Amino acid sequence: MSDPADIHAYLAELEDIPGTRVYTATRARQGYHLNQFAMSLMKPENRAAWKADEASYLDHWAMSTEQKQAVLARDYNRLLDLGGNIYFLAKVFSTDGLSFLQAVSTMSGMSVEDYQAMMNAGGRSPVGLRSIREPR
Amino acid sequence: MARITAGVGSSHVPLLGVAVDQGKTQDAYFAPIFGGYEWTRRWEAEQKPDVILLVYNDHASAFDANIIPTFAIGTGERFKPADEGWGPRPVPDVIGHPDLAWHIAQSLILDDFDMTIINEMDVDHGLTVPLSMMFGTPAQWPARVIPLAINVVTYPVPSGNRCWLLGEAIGRAVASFPEDLNVQIWGTGGMSHQLQGSRAGLINAEWDNRFMDSLIGDSDAVRRIPHIEYLRETGSEGIEMVMWLIMRGALGARTRLLHRHYHVPCSNTAIGHLVLQPD
Repeated sequence: MSDPADIHAYLAELEDIPGTRVYTATRARQGYHLNQFAMSLMKPENRAAWKADEASYLDHWAMSTEQKQAVLARDYNRLLDLGGNIYFLAKVFSTDGLSFLQAVSTMSGMSVEDYQAMMNAGGRSPVGLRSIREPR
Repeated sequence: MARITAGVGSSHVPLLGVAVDQGKTQDAYFAPIFGGYEWTRRWEAEQKPDVILLVYNDHASAFDANIIPTFAIGTGERFKPADEGWGPRPVPDVIGHPDLAWHIAQSLILDDFDMTIINEMDVDHGLTVPLSMMFGTPAQWPARVIPLAINVVTYPVPSGNRCWLLGEAIGRAVASFPEDLNVQIWGTGGMSHQLQGSRAGLINAEWDNRFMDSLIGDSDAVRRIPHIEYLRETGSEGIEMVMWLIMRGALGARTRLLHRHYHVPCSNTAIGHLVLQPD
């Protein structure tokens, strides 16, 4: 059936996809406070406090210095590396007034216009992007 | 007796909710997407389902990083649209069906599915966008809704086979509810999309369409697709498609296709939509 018998093999495979950080337990642990910070922006009063002074708002959260710097820089790829999850980080870019397409395009290294044009032309092909070990 | 009369599969992209809420559904970008749902809106108006079992995933709205239920069922009287960072969607509250929801919850637990029971929660675009796609913009939603929230964010998410088996158990639970109810089950999410990293924007129309093909008829091969295949072929967020298997499992051994629609793109995502009947 679809269930992997070996958790180690299962988790190793999840790391074999180019340009992709699968949100595993390791990342969920590393990013816990970062993601909880992002979650807090669902409340209007918290969004107001965040917009008034981002750095001091972050001081209330048990996040690493690297995580705080990456949030202030809106470096979403770095935030993914540091345990952030896109659905939590969405609260940050939504508070900034960005759409999913605008925010996601910043991670792809493309301009918003080029990214949008790629999507309108059918999106990014999986060819060559399925595996790090075996490009196919 | 209550009976599951149909299954609906649909993407639940948040931008579709924005298009509905801002009256843009006939714009050039959105018209081909919404056009593919017109058949279904007419059909739903004729079918008049009493209850929708709506399988979706919460996108860090009701559940934060603290508590991560794999399978959760909403047993409350009503559920409000969530504030996802830009204010709640201006759509009606979702009215639950606590009698049927508790019946399903109890039946599933006795059938070896250890459900998390949620009495109060807000529901995000994962649940309200499919309602808008299928019902338009009524003053009140025309059916009661039982939310079934599935973890497809934190790995490991449930396997395709487990989702299929849950669907079968839901079918048994509904069939043992004494009230005469017309029940539909909707599986939402997908299709191919990746919202992160340098591979963002991945779309695999060929794979998506094969997946839809495999939900029609009597094949159950689709339940054996491993997580890694969804990730490699359909992007990191394509894994949401395991939720369609709960819908498929609930429809029994064989299905008949009533309607099908596929469109690329909507925002970062491929839109897929199926209407199936038990056959």
